[in-house]
Amino acid sequence: MKGMEVLRVLNDWGPVLFGVGFLAPLIAQTMEATGVPAPFGWPPITVGLGVGLVGGLVAKVRRSWV
Amino acid sequence: MSAAVDTNGKSERELMREEREIAKVYLGRVPWEMVAWGIGNFLVWLSLWPLVFLGILPLWAGFLIALINCSLAYLPSHEAQHSIIAAEGTKLRWLNDLVGHVSTIPLAFPYRVGWLTHRRHHAYANDPELDPDISSRGETWWKGAYNALRDRQPGQEGGYAKAMQDCDDPGRDRALVEAAILRTTHFAVLAVLAWSGFAIEACLLWWLPRHLGFIYLVTFLSWAPHHPMAERGRYRDTRFWKSPVGRVGSLWMEFHIIHHLYPKIPLLDTPKAWHALEPLLIERGIRDDRANASVSDY
Repeated sequence: MKGMEVLRVLNDWGPVLFGVGFLAPLIAQTMEATGVPAPFGWPPITVGLGVGLVGGLVAKVRRSWV
Repeated sequence: MSAAVDTNGKSERELMREEREIAKVYLGRVPWEMVAWGIGNFLVWLSLWPLVFLGILPLWAGFLIALINCSLAYLPSHEAQHSIIAAEGTKLRWLNDLVGHVSTIPLAFPYRVGWLTHRRHHAYANDPELDPDISSRGETWWKGAYNALRDRQPGQEGGYAKAMQDCDDPGRDRALVEAAILRTTHFAVLAVLAWSGFAIEACLLWWLPRHLGFIYLVTFLSWAPHHPMAERGRYRDTRFWKSPVGRVGSLWMEFHIIHHLYPKIPLLDTPKAWHALEPLLIERGIRDDRANASVSDY
């Protein structure tokens, strides 16, 4: 059952993993593709990681993205 | 069209026997078109990846095709869930399971969880507590789709999660493991692609079409045929209705009542079965909404 426990933990942190693992690079690459500059001269991935991490944590607490 | 049916003076048993005799004509065929649909649709979706990555197909075109693929991905697996392609213990059972598993990969939807929850839907259609699809209930299709989307959010104990918790089928644990593997693989592929510089491609070929396809499927496979999900019973929990986008646009769901009455009739035979059974079913008091639906319902 150890494997199932690992999956349960991963599932609990799913929104954060999704925010960092997928949303962050998606936001960064979309900014680059559309020429939207990041504030304060930050690299786009910093913005992506910030939005992805915060969004994921909010979704985890709210138990919903929508 | 079948011969005229006179229900007057017939017992319940005689009516049921008559209904089953008519339905029997449409049972037992291997729906090869659904095998081709399921495997072919998956292969087309799979081919989008090299075609887009090699620059042969523009990403916008790949997105539109992926959207169609995701919208078409569920129904072949649904035929397999009902063992319509091949029953347990028969020679072609492997093909039934292959179609069941493979066709829903674009949706990242696990076949065995689909079957266990769908079986519960048939047993308890429109039951507010026990029907796993009740979350798609809503006054309009967009409210139904939103409710279903909300029900599937992380950590929610919605219809499908509850159905799997309550499930006492011996195959439940296997279904859950397969679901976990599929879900983890889906996320891993998206993440690896995204961090390798292909996040937009991953988004437009899989993540977004999957979600939009899900909304389309919930609308036409769950919301529309059961709307307003208020009644229960063999002849009342679904309906015959006329779709504003036609038979194909609604994936043959105008005839969903045939599926609930006789789940092993292949999808593409449900219109013929409806026409043969229509007089008898009208007499039985089914929900015939072809004249009642207004545009505001959609």
